[in-house]
Amino acid sequence: MTVFKSTDLNQTEQLGKRIADALTGTEVIAYFGGLGMGKTTLTRAIVEALGTEDNVSSPTFSIVNEYKSKYNVYHFDMYRVESWEDLYSTGFFDYLDTGVLIVEWSENIENALPENTVRITITKGENDSERIFEIEGLEI
Amino acid sequence: MKIFAADTSAKSASVALVENGVIKGEYFINTMLTHSETLMPMVDLLFKSVRVQPKDIDCFAVNCGPGSFTGLRIGIAAVKGMTFAFDKPCAAVSTLESMAYNLTAENAVVCAVMDARCSQVYNALFDISGNEPLRLCEDRALQIDQLISELRNIDKRIILVGDGANLCFERMSQELENIELSNENVRYQRASSTAFAAEKLFEKGEILTSSQLMPRYLRLPQAQRELLAKKSLNNK
Repeated sequence: MTVFKSTDLNQTEQLGKRIADALTGTEVIAYFGGLGMGKTTLTRAIVEALGTEDNVSSPTFSIVNEYKSKYNVYHFDMYRVESWEDLYSTGFFDYLDTGVLIVEWSENIENALPENTVRITITKGENDSERIFEIEGLEI
Repeated sequence: MKIFAADTSAKSASVALVENGVIKGEYFINTMLTHSETLMPMVDLLFKSVRVQPKDIDCFAVNCGPGSFTGLRIGIAAVKGMTFAFDKPCAAVSTLESMAYNLTAENAVVCAVMDARCSQVYNALFDISGNEPLRLCEDRALQIDQLISELRNIDKRIILVGDGANLCFERMSQELENIELSNENVRYQRASSTAFAAEKLFEKGEILTSSQLMPRYLRLPQAQRELLAKKSLNNK
């Protein structure tokens, strides 16, 4: 497990680059951590490091956003996914193995995550702007 | 009788035209490309290659499930559109049953398995020793372990087909002596097999109109549909 502390956007962008460099193209990255933890910010950092020109935003209403970059990236928000049928109808299982899946609110679908999922747990640090990222399942 | 068939139920996509039991043409691709981009060009190419017009088709068949959520909808929407436009009957084929038609004339049981993720498969069993596959159970979703214990009761050769075949073979080969993996060329769903299965449905009068054609999704058992990990608190 890698623990990374970030106190500003610049450091989060560095973390995003390190994660992006370690990816091979079919990973599932699952975030754990509540509202306002910087999930979308980290996603933007990863996808921009992968060279996207697309606008990275939270898929709260669209459920999944698709970004073209070095790899196809599928950015999910599982906040409103409450049942297996919900999850199945997002196409989540169809996207697996076809690109990098980045999943916000993974708490809601924890039992459906593949075994080799990269888990990133985000918690608050000592002050409001500090975040602690615990990364499991990926060497960065 | 001319049957057009399509399959987009999983990773591969295929279309075929079968006339009186003869495969006149078939296109099959197994890439990561999206079915919505590849299906209609294949349909167009097929009709042009075999020099048949869609209006000359007697029955349009499609694999209706189980399978991928999006994949099934693409194939079904395409066939719905064509049968609506040409006012033709449709045959809704079980994806699992279609795969049993990949293997005939073997004295064996076909165990069709599609990967439903999380150690679960969509499955049906067929005895293929007769002229046509004989269904031994309904299409269902179950845990691989559960399937293994059921297969212990079968003495015949058991041949695995489907995109879950490799996964199941790895789990079963130690425990079941009579389990076999089918050859790559007959392992996956093919539109030509869908057409052969449709021919039987057509003979029995089990045909649908365009508007009756629907995907057939299988529900997983309740215990397996639990998404939240027991230990995790849903803090939203």
